[in-house]
Amino acid sequence: MKQTNNHILWQTSWKYTESIIVTSTIIIAGFVLQITVGSINFSLLAAPVNLLLGGVIILLCIASLWYRNSSLMRWFTGVPMSVCLIAALLSLSLLMGLTPQLVNSAKDAVGLFARLGFNSMAVSWTFVLIYVTILLSLGCLIARKMCRFRVKEWAFYMNHAGLWLTLFAAGLGHVDMERYIILVYEGKTEWRVNSANGNMKELPIAIHLNDFDMEEYPPSLTVIDSASGMPLPDTSPDYYQIDTETPESILNGWSITLKQYIHQAIRNSDSTYSVASMPGAAPAAKIKAVHPENGTEVSGWISCGNRAQPYMMLPLNEQQTVVMTMPKPKRFMSDIEVYTPDGTVRKSILEVNKPLKVGSWTIYQYGYDNNAGRLSAYSSMELVYDPWAIAVYAGFILMTLGAVAMIWNGRLIKRVTKKGECK
Amino acid sequence: MTWNNFIYFALPAVALWLAAGITVYGIKTHRHASLFTNILMLAGIAMFALFITGFWINIERPPMRTMGETRLWYSFFLSATGYLAYCRWKYTWLLSFTALIASVFVLINLLKPEIHSKNLMPALQSIWFVPHVTSYILSYAMLGAATVGSFIGLRKTRPYSNIFCFLDNMVYAGFGFLILGMLMGAVWAKEAWGHYWSWDPKETWAFVTALAYLAYIHIRQSGAKYEKTALWILPVAFILLMITWVGVNYLPSAQESIHAY
Repeated sequence: MKQTNNHILWQTSWKYTESIIVTSTIIIAGFVLQITVGSINFSLLAAPVNLLLGGVIILLCIASLWYRNSSLMRWFTGVPMSVCLIAALLSLSLLMGLTPQLVNSAKDAVGLFARLGFNSMAVSWTFVLIYVTILLSLGCLIARKMCRFRVKEWAFYMNHAGLWLTLFAAGLGHVDMERYIILVYEGKTEWRVNSANGNMKELPIAIHLNDFDMEEYPPSLTVIDSASGMPLPDTSPDYYQIDTETPESILNGWSITLKQYIHQAIRNSDSTYSVASMPGAAPAAKIKAVHPENGTEVSGWISCGNRAQPYMMLPLNEQQTVVMTMPKPKRFMSDIEVYTPDGTVRKSILEVNKPLKVGSWTIYQYGYDNNAGRLSAYSSMELVYDPWAIAVYAGFILMTLGAVAMIWNGRLIKRVTKKGECK
Repeated sequence: MTWNNFIYFALPAVALWLAAGITVYGIKTHRHASLFTNILMLAGIAMFALFITGFWINIERPPMRTMGETRLWYSFFLSATGYLAYCRWKYTWLLSFTALIASVFVLINLLKPEIHSKNLMPALQSIWFVPHVTSYILSYAMLGAATVGSFIGLRKTRPYSNIFCFLDNMVYAGFGFLILGMLMGAVWAKEAWGHYWSWDPKETWAFVTALAYLAYIHIRQSGAKYEKTALWILPVAFILLMITWVGVNYLPSAQESIHAY
């Protein structure tokens, strides 16, 4: 394309000015639709409507090939338009990043920002229109480039086709995705969940919880104000996480020595503790505290306790007490059996980061009774149905290859000579 | 090795880096300055790597969870990237600038270490943890170097071609790592939380940052007329990057973020 210094708007070849005007128009149209029509009802787009929509987008991209040498298509798939669309998506995402987003789509749109869809940006008309325009522009570009395919440009295809596929599948697949939290008690079987509208829903999967278990990190010790219960010093409290290899620490001026630590302990009748690997066991420690100035020495057992045993504190003087914090979870897991209508039974130990795939469903460890911790009587799991995920992952693979090429080659056409110039 | 030992590794490393940043200006006039610079810089990087290794072994988990720990990697990667880019393109200013910025991050860690315990919550116990964070921090280091380059470019008058040679390569490589970090994060999120993208505030800001660099890459295809615009995009994009990295935790929109540790 020739550079023209006296560029006339809407004539000759379209460039940045036209792209900015068109992109702005789409954004304004989106805001107008959001205010007049309201939020998009995504449930209307569920399969097969989204498949149809996807088909139309693909057909439009292919149909554009007949006009691929027209100045209009060259502009629509060209650099200025792409920069403007990127800028538009950036601006909308920036608004999303600055405005607290609603968990569910805007139901009570109060105030101008909410009515413009700022607090549910990813599902607003404006965002969706820009998203679809990007799919079309990028899709037409890929189709056009495919017509004169050059192996040398493989990284370009990987990056662009990968991004297109990811946006396409993630966007259209969004409406088909189903997510439920299921609560299963130990020894019980469950297949019913609460759906988004609050009704009970029966799933094609039943889960039986054999056992819920948890491993915990050693807890921390801290000195608290006996009256207020607040950890000391006020400004930045001292904590010492129990570690038998470093048994010395200083908490609010007291030097604390860890004499003995039992991770799973049971309290004896004489207020000492002994080892016991059983569900009701809690961490306990025998410590010695010395005040460096007046030499006061206090020692004894402390424990954070749990639902089965009371906690134990060690008073240092009339104002201060050493306590043990509740331990933080290291890993928690559910021993489950999964039943499907076709009669298959799957056994698994579910853990965070270790989901179980059953057909089109994936089961994730979600949570437990936080107040009971290790003694939780139930385990909550998340069930996710996401049939489009495979296409999104295909897009990820293409983008990964494209990214590796970018790292490896840099901007390929540029090479440095010995004099430090670009070639 | 713990944070208590950090100062004994950090101060010598900073001294070595800054010394290299100074001796590098003597390579045209002094015969041995180049060799001297290389030794100083490599010694500084090795010193720092030694601490990270020891620290990692001591805390029994990857040191990548807290802000202080990611700053540790940033100093390391920035000095290493600056040194490699210096070897490749012979930009003396780049070596001294990256040495200086790496030192600033070391000083922040010395003054405000944000030390945390050994605990690693279950969601973070994944094979994706190390590559995800490393890829991002490496990318941040490269894009940081590109930002320094853009300031040099903005002070110059046309033609900018020399500086763009460095900027484009740096942004391409940095963007590549940015995308790898994002994709690994997405795969990890799918395994941990059931979805690869949730528009969590940290994700949204990471997306915004990636788009800003994507805009740079595309506007660079528009020819000489938009070179000045391209140069201005880099500092702006880096501000977005810094918000993603450290600023998100302070935004009212991010109080529910799953990325706040």
